Amino acid sequence: MVDPTDRLRLVQWLSPAFPIGAFAYSQGLEVAITDGDIRTASDLEAWIAAILRHGSGRIDAIILAHARQPQADLAGLTALILALATSAERVTELQEQGRAFALAISAITGVDHPPRPYPIAVGAATASLNVPTAEVLTLWLQGLAAQLTSAAVRFVPLGQTDGQKVLARLAPRITALAAEYAEAPLSALHSSAIRADIAAMRHETLPVRIFRT
Amino acid sequence: MLATPATPMQRSQGAAFASFRCLDGRARLADLAQQGSAKAMLPRVSGVPEVVFLNTSGGLTDGDNLSYRLELGADCRVTATTQTAERVYASRGAPARAKVQASVGAGAHLDWLPQETILFQSSHLARDTQVDLAPGASCLLSETVVLGRHAMGETLTDARLTDARMVRRGGVPVWASTLRIDASVLADASAALLGQARGFAVIALMAQGAEDAVARLRAVLTHAGCHSAASGWDGKCIARITARDGWPLKQQMALALAALRAGPLPRVWQM
Repeated sequence: MVDPTDRLRLVQWLSPAFPIGAFAYSQGLEVAITDGDIRTASDLEAWIAAILRHGSGRIDAIILAHARQPQADLAGLTALILALATSAERVTELQEQGRAFALAISAITGVDHPPRPYPIAVGAATASLNVPTAEVLTLWLQGLAAQLTSAAVRFVPLGQTDGQKVLARLAPRITALAAEYAEAPLSALHSSAIRADIAAMRHETLPVRIFRT
Repeated sequence: MLATPATPMQRSQGAAFASFRCLDGRARLADLAQQGSAKAMLPRVSGVPEVVFLNTSGGLTDGDNLSYRLELGADCRVTATTQTAERVYASRGAPARAKVQASVGAGAHLDWLPQETILFQSSHLARDTQVDLAPGASCLLSETVVLGRHAMGETLTDARLTDARMVRRGGVPVWASTLRIDASVLADASAALLGQARGFAVIALMAQGAEDAVARLRAVLTHAGCHSAASGWDGKCIARITARDGWPLKQQMALALAALRAGPLPRVWQM
């Protein structure tokens, strides 16, 4: 049975208002926008869908699911996610958001949560919540999609409503992927997002940068 | 319905192994073993010894099993590559399997710079590359994949590649990357995946201070017809390159590898 209060805690911890500074990270999307690869709502939707299914969304969600398991090897998962990182800024993003998340959770719960890469910090903190993993991952993937959408609507000539329409269209794919990733073995940690990885690397040398990644 | 007897398939098996020990400051061959379609050759070179692996079956298809293995003793410096591009032909379902394993002893260095892998329509390759580094060991790895024979106007709509790479130091993962190509990726024109690229490559240097190589790598990642970037952190320097076809990709790789290593590239890389 899902505990309704646990569900509410989960929504709070994964809400865009939770103080981890998610708005500062674009995962290379800023470069794709600067290069003119993202001009329309459908370009944005395709980019986000690819990240969720074939890129960092997949990696992070599967690692998070494993970190939620009883007796999870958190040190081993930490080494693995850092080894899987595709650029220096990706490591920064994982570590800084994870540190901010652990600080906030420790303050709220009164239980000390050590800093860990963000998906692992979320997995460890939500392990005690009586909510199915697929539901945690739905909110997690939705959070990533919303973060990328809000980054895009600031720089692509797209209205807030266009951004919300993109998110709405992604919803069925988000729930399907969340169900898949909740059961996925670590051998499913593969990626096809080569150009997104290149964009994230090129962000390091972008002359004018609005986002931190 | 009568059961159809399974058609016996021509499967090729091959395994080649070479190990080195450092004597008088130079890596010397300690052991060599080869069976089936896999060969390991040691061309006469001055300086750092070279191992050239070869799959004599002329390509990979379903059910094939190819294994290359290297062992470098403490302080050995060895360059390993392949004799030709590896062609992966159409599969009836099961993957061709390729395994590359290297253990690099304390203070030793391995360059693993195979030639490109060419995926044909309906091919299926599962490749697993594992490198174990002892304390103070380092390695430079590259991998190049070309989707179809671009010069012949081929456009792949179906091919499967699961290309796993894992580098461990003292048993702990330090670089992991499993690249997946399948029909859904080939059909997806998103700029986050391959875009218009039909060839791609990765270069990874794992060494103490490797992050300092990023500036010299970026300086040469400018080749026309390629889209590339590099990043360096925590004893790693990684570059990814995409290109519309195989030739500029190979030229760009040669320039990038030359920037990261002393001495001439293996002969198979010289253009």
